[in-house]
Amino acid sequence: MEYVLALDNVKKKIKGQEIIKGLSFSVKKGEIFGLLGPNGAGKTTTIRMIVGLMEISSGDIIVCGKSVKKDFSKAIQQIGAIVENPEMYKFLTGYQNLLQYARMQKNISREKIAEVVELVGLNERIHDKVKTYSLGMRQRLGLAQCLLHDPQLLILDEPTNGLDPAGIREIRDYLRKLTHEKGMSVIVSSHLLSEMEMMCDRIAIIQKGELKEVQEVNSLINDKHILYAFETGSLGEAMQWLQKHYELKKVDSGFTIKCQKTDIPAIINQLIERNIAIYSVKPISKTLEDHFLEVTAG
Amino acid sequence: MGNLILNEWIKVIRRKATLCMIGIMILFVIGFGVLTKFMDSQTPAPENNNWKQTIEKQLENDRSSLEQTGANNANLKMYYERQIAIKEYQLKQEIPPQNEMHMWTFVEDSQALITFAGLFTIIIAAGSVSSEFSWGTIKLLLIRPLSRSKILLSKYVTILLYGLFFLTILFVLSAIVGFLLFGAPADTVTYLAFANGEVVERNMAIHLAAQYLLSSADVLLIATMAFMISAIFRISSLAIGLSLFLLFTGNTATMLLASKFEWTKYLLFANTNLTVYFDGVPPVDGMTLSFSIIVLIVYLAIFHTLAFALFNKRDIAA
Repeated sequence: MEYVLALDNVKKKIKGQEIIKGLSFSVKKGEIFGLLGPNGAGKTTTIRMIVGLMEISSGDIIVCGKSVKKDFSKAIQQIGAIVENPEMYKFLTGYQNLLQYARMQKNISREKIAEVVELVGLNERIHDKVKTYSLGMRQRLGLAQCLLHDPQLLILDEPTNGLDPAGIREIRDYLRKLTHEKGMSVIVSSHLLSEMEMMCDRIAIIQKGELKEVQEVNSLINDKHILYAFETGSLGEAMQWLQKHYELKKVDSGFTIKCQKTDIPAIINQLIERNIAIYSVKPISKTLEDHFLEVTAG
Repeated sequence: MGNLILNEWIKVIRRKATLCMIGIMILFVIGFGVLTKFMDSQTPAPENNNWKQTIEKQLENDRSSLEQTGANNANLKMYYERQIAIKEYQLKQEIPPQNEMHMWTFVEDSQALITFAGLFTIIIAAGSVSSEFSWGTIKLLLIRPLSRSKILLSKYVTILLYGLFFLTILFVLSAIVGFLLFGAPADTVTYLAFANGEVVERNMAIHLAAQYLLSSADVLLIATMAFMISAIFRISSLAIGLSLFLLFTGNTATMLLASKFEWTKYLLFANTNLTVYFDGVPPVDGMTLSFSIIVLIVYLAIFHTLAFALFNKRDIAA
């Protein structure tokens, strides 16, 4: 598997205090990678180190084979980023802003700018001053700015911040398109769990400057319905049978059980045979949020 | 690099504040022209038919001053020698002193407005780096495949270009206003300069352009300082405040100190007025043009080293 970004035991010390305590992870080509963590976990600091706004205290960051520490220009050439809010020159028009960034790269044609503007859907307003833009439009202009030089890696800090549901969906679809069609990789950071769940392929959970775990989102979703809640009357001897075959937990109104969906009819049959009243059976979806709280609690 | 400078130029010129500055500049020149015209019409220049006698009298005074004070002050000696040479030349070539107002005298008088060109340049210099921080755009600016030094350098060059731009506006505009209000001089006017022990006649326009540049040395240095403060502390109000304070008080304070202490000659402001080496007396005895230039270069180097070193090093947390 080809890696677009690799962090190797990256540490950041500010005034003697270790803010990032040895982060190592890598992002594959064409994937959307989420950085998830509570406020102050070090997501933004990590992003700032990747894009060279902050110095790396120890360890190294490799972007497409180039070290951010030693070969900054070549490494950053492959990155398009929005760090925190997409702040633009408000007294310039959207187009003039893009021209500013185009002039700082080599060989960006007017056609390329037009193409990017079209992609983010700012055609109608691109010649208006940025101060008249809504937050969502600024977000899109920020995205356009990232894409001008066809980077391999997009880094978006809170990309859906301030967007309405339609806008969020648009960004999501758009990121999917970029990763699928152009093979770009994307790093998004957020504390909005449901958002991350829908957007990302893999998620790294960061807490207090440490990597807690890296999870495939699919496996989380597959895991989801493994728990079922049974609301029943008194169980009596059925309990022993259940405990013999399944992992279960007694609760006030019945029990929760870990099993496959296909096991449910068999369990219900067994309960009916033993004359146990069943009031309801429902799957308990274990959301990313539960998982996140589980991981970060420890 | 050219593109970066173009970027910086656009970022300044597209702001309303900059357009205001240019507007104020134009108004000042026109206002100053009208005022000068009014004063000139109130007190017409006296016809001076026996200018030769007047100059001979002045020559006598100069000669006696040279003998008295020139003996123990090298700079004053130089000054009087220059004055005497020029006046003798005037008598010999029969060049009467200029009394009437014309466009070039107005351009010369407009030098008083260079302070405003300086003021505006300093304001631009002070905001150059710090406003990128306050706008938050520094984060997008520094994640390009360009070194921070290059970006900082392009900002500095742009400031110099704006300084030059304001000076040009002032010069050209006062030439135009001067021409419209006072007309061109009756005869071709030349400037009498004393160089390498002899008097030479110089083209007035070129002489004045050189004057404008020479008297902008203090603006250059203070703008550089404002730029440094802005790059290091990222606070434009501090950069503007401190720089303007020095611009307005620096010269006076240095003059006061210069009469008492010899070390004053190493101060920035003792060296910023380079015109004294051509037409006046330097503040401290024994100072020369090359001494001043070296001092200025040392100050520039210190400002730049500090600005570049700290700007390159710092983490951007804004």
